[in-house]
Amino acid sequence: MIENKLPAVGIPRAMLYYRYGTLWERFFRVLGVSTVLSPPGSRGILETGTRLAPDEGCLSLKMFMGHVDALVGRCERIFIPRYSNYGYTELFCTRYEGLYDQAGNIFRSSAQRFITCNIDAQNGSPEPKAFERLGIELGFSARESRKAWREASKALDQQKKAEEHAQKELAGKPGMKVLIAGHSYILSDPYLGKPILDYLDAANVISLRADALEPETARKACARFSPTCRWLVSEEIVGGVLLWKDKADGIILTSAFPCGPDSMTNELLLRRLRGIPILTLVLDTQSGMAGIETRLESFLDIIRFQKGGLV
Amino acid sequence: MKQQRKVALPRYGEYNCALKYIVEQGFETRCILPPPLSRRSEDLGARNSPDLVCTPFKTTLGSMIEALESGADTIIMVPGACRLNYFGELQEQILRDLGYTFDFINLSMYNTGKVKDILRALKVINPRRSMVKAGRALYEAVQMVEHLDDITSLYYQNCGFDPSGSYPKIYKRFLSDMYAAQSLSDIRDGYARASHAFADVELKKPGDPIRIGIIGEYYTVMDPFSNLWLEQKLADMGVEVHRLMNVTNDMFRGGGKNMQTKIRDFSEYSMGANSTADLWQAQNFAERGFDGLVQVKSACCMPETDIMPVLANLSRDYKIPVLYLTYDSQTSDVGLMTRLEAFFDMLEMRKKVAR
Repeated sequence: MIENKLPAVGIPRAMLYYRYGTLWERFFRVLGVSTVLSPPGSRGILETGTRLAPDEGCLSLKMFMGHVDALVGRCERIFIPRYSNYGYTELFCTRYEGLYDQAGNIFRSSAQRFITCNIDAQNGSPEPKAFERLGIELGFSARESRKAWREASKALDQQKKAEEHAQKELAGKPGMKVLIAGHSYILSDPYLGKPILDYLDAANVISLRADALEPETARKACARFSPTCRWLVSEEIVGGVLLWKDKADGIILTSAFPCGPDSMTNELLLRRLRGIPILTLVLDTQSGMAGIETRLESFLDIIRFQKGGLV
Repeated sequence: MKQQRKVALPRYGEYNCALKYIVEQGFETRCILPPPLSRRSEDLGARNSPDLVCTPFKTTLGSMIEALESGADTIIMVPGACRLNYFGELQEQILRDLGYTFDFINLSMYNTGKVKDILRALKVINPRRSMVKAGRALYEAVQMVEHLDDITSLYYQNCGFDPSGSYPKIYKRFLSDMYAAQSLSDIRDGYARASHAFADVELKKPGDPIRIGIIGEYYTVMDPFSNLWLEQKLADMGVEVHRLMNVTNDMFRGGGKNMQTKIRDFSEYSMGANSTADLWQAQNFAERGFDGLVQVKSACCMPETDIMPVLANLSRDYKIPVLYLTYDSQTSDVGLMTRLEAFFDMLEMRKKVAR
């Protein structure tokens, strides 16, 4: 490893970080690569991102570019993995696919260097191979990189299992429960999703998350429900909704404006699920919480009314 | 015995002539042609679709509804690389919720990368007919598409410089020939007639006309209704309009070899769907000294939005102006006209300065 003042790799705390972050961080830690994480999402970051990203991009893209901007000049290279596919029928939203090149073009005038990890099984670069190449590019042997990936991958599996286990306990508790579905980078983001979860918390509602489930289980459920849905992340969310919904009194489908996969999977859920109140919340760059609070409040009232508590 | 199917595919530019040819000649099944896209199809589609889905979803849904109204009992939907792959399933659900009764053949169900599944799909459309016949019709339809793309690109390159006004007539005649074609010789005759007729027209073209390259999202860029006849509008201003993005280049000719390598100064990996082809075409137009580029996309199209920063850099490096057009379900072309006129004036002025 070359000793340097700056950390070797910077990781934007946005998009798939919230889904695969454990994998990346553990991979770098096992190899002994120093990393730096961009600060938690905030209004400032979103505003910077909105200025940089294409106007028509989704809220999460804008947030992402804000995070990248926060890392420019603070690390040797910014890590933007390219998640394209795990195989012919296991795809990702094209946005994750283009992030690396898009950021490279947006920040072309800065001297910042980027590093990617190209996960594209259709073109001979499945996940283990991709991380092996990443390790080699950082100056490690193929063997060391493979070992690091195995360890990191195990850590991610354990994290998912722990999340599912914790939520099972939560679901067993008495009280009103709402299932909240959405991309992890929306729900876990302190600026975008957290206010919603906080509001539910303050209203004494237990919020269950659709993505707190082992990915394989969720995907199988989704494949039965919607056979041609092939976005891995969306499959996990849809599968999660199907498997957790019986434990909940209502469902909140969140989405970032104008999320491509969500625009279709949420519509399908709305059309195919019966007998449970569903609220769709589309988050955009507006900063006020008042509108969302009103909608959450009336949604909770509907659930209470249905349960006979509001008469 | 079950009555013969009446199959329909949603409208997609002028390519329905080839789709109709495959269904009728290959599978010997009746093909219902939905009415040409109109404001009504757009409205029907938009009203019944989710708001944030891209416009082609809404347009094709509208076209499916009109096909069902015209008596079709089977609808075929194609798979694709982006959201398009999921169109079929959601559109079927929406149509069923609207109360229509029909068979839906969603080809993305069979699009699994295995040959076995593709053969299975052919069996579903055509349980009894011979595969040889279907194969031959497919081959002939490919020829039709190649001719169609050839004539179309010739038409838009030259029709702006035709004082006699016979270009549109020849083109219209050619299209109706293609829709009526029942054999390979019909296709070849129609093509020969049109290309000879084009060759006979005397064009009044300046030595160095304004040339604009059109790039963009697969559906909107090829469907004249969806892009509000963009190419015709530009041609009418006296522009040589070039578009490399068509089915022939994209599907039958591999779109140009090693495109990703050629554009690697701008983008190292594919950015999804046809973004690589788009960027390569943009670079190709720029290198050939075109005067301007127009990027056509529907609202909320993911890959096309992602390549906008790349195009901006390309435009800077090659000093070529780019007009970014986003189409929603709007039906008035006044706004478009204003922008095109301004773009044209700017290009004209630039050219004068350069001289």
